[in-house]
Amino acid sequence: MIPTHYYLFLGAALFTIGVVGVLTRRNIIVILMSIELILNAVNINLVAFSRYFQAVDGQVFAIFVITDAAAEAAVGLGLIIALFRNKETVNADEIDLLKW
Amino acid sequence: MFGSYLPILVHFVVVVVVAGAIMGLSAWVGVKRPSREKLSPYECGITPVGDARGRFSISFYLVGMLFILFDVEIAFLFPWAVVYRSLGWFGFIEMFLYIVILLAGYLYIWKKGALDWTR
Amino acid sequence: MAPLFYIFAVLAILAALSVVLQRTPVYSALSLIVVLCSLAVVYLLLGAEFLAVIQVIIYAGAIMVLFVLVIMLLNARQETPSDRSRLARWLGAPLLLVFLGELLFAVWERFPAATTRAAALPDAGPRAVGALLFRSYVLPFEVTSILILVAVLGAVVLAKKRL
Repeated sequence: MIPTHYYLFLGAALFTIGVVGVLTRRNIIVILMSIELILNAVNINLVAFSRYFQAVDGQVFAIFVITDAAAEAAVGLGLIIALFRNKETVNADEIDLLKW
Repeated sequence: MFGSYLPILVHFVVVVVVAGAIMGLSAWVGVKRPSREKLSPYECGITPVGDARGRFSISFYLVGMLFILFDVEIAFLFPWAVVYRSLGWFGFIEMFLYIVILLAGYLYIWKKGALDWTR
Repeated sequence: MAPLFYIFAVLAILAALSVVLQRTPVYSALSLIVVLCSLAVVYLLLGAEFLAVIQVIIYAGAIMVLFVLVIMLLNARQETPSDRSRLARWLGAPLLLVFLGELLFAVWERFPAATTRAAALPDAGPRAVGALLFRSYVLPFEVTSILILVAVLGAVVLAKKRL
């Protein structure tokens, strides 16, 4: 039997990797993928605690998180397409009109 | 509980072993005499034209998004169908509302012409 | 059961590293699919049968299809790293380790080694999930449909003009 905190370690590791991806990558599509990693880290925690408390509620939340990720991917990628149409780039640091 | 998932695990192991064996054996035993014709991508015997990384139509994105819409809908329908009998009319009405709202989105896409491939 | 967890947890972390480190977006997307499928196995080990299936169908199926389509659509090639911030290069890795250590320490402190309240897995097939989802969480469920509706409208409005 794997203790609960191992799952939490896995979630923490995935979360950190996702944060690194969001902060270091230039390609917006990869940044969006790193956000998906972060959402998955949250899901691991929800499911691990669902077992810890012997309640299925955590898994229902996880299903809502997945639905939210689907909506977020659809709108986020739509934004990226609209952005690409205007600026002809997918690099986050070249979209700097607001930067002084 | 995990007994019923044993076939999937076996399947997984078999896939990894067979795929690894095919790749490994052909890399180890096979004779490699590369030529220009052999290295070019196979396009049904016709000489490849242009770059495969040309830009694709926006319609692919819209269809993919529609796919997500109905995939999520199906994912919620499945547990609903399992507990339908114990829910009774209450369950019927809540799923009816859910599908009506999603149907509005579907009709919007239809009216907007996102489903017309040629436009 | 225990070796399965270690295999797939390590696989998930390696593939997640690959998502972040690959320079070509398509490789990142493929690695992300590996992460999602290994996490489905981890969910299965936690007893979340329905969630594992949903993870594969929606996440690895639908969402990743959309990602790959957009990568093809925008013709995203290899990205060249920018050398804009020298401070970030020297300070990044140590701060990252501090952050990860802090997270792991926080988990470790709240959950000392032997904490597993119950060995039994909760029953979480579609029946249990459905009973909870359609009774206790009716309102969030209905709001979900509006969320998807808004997402669809937004995506069509954003993408409809000819590329």
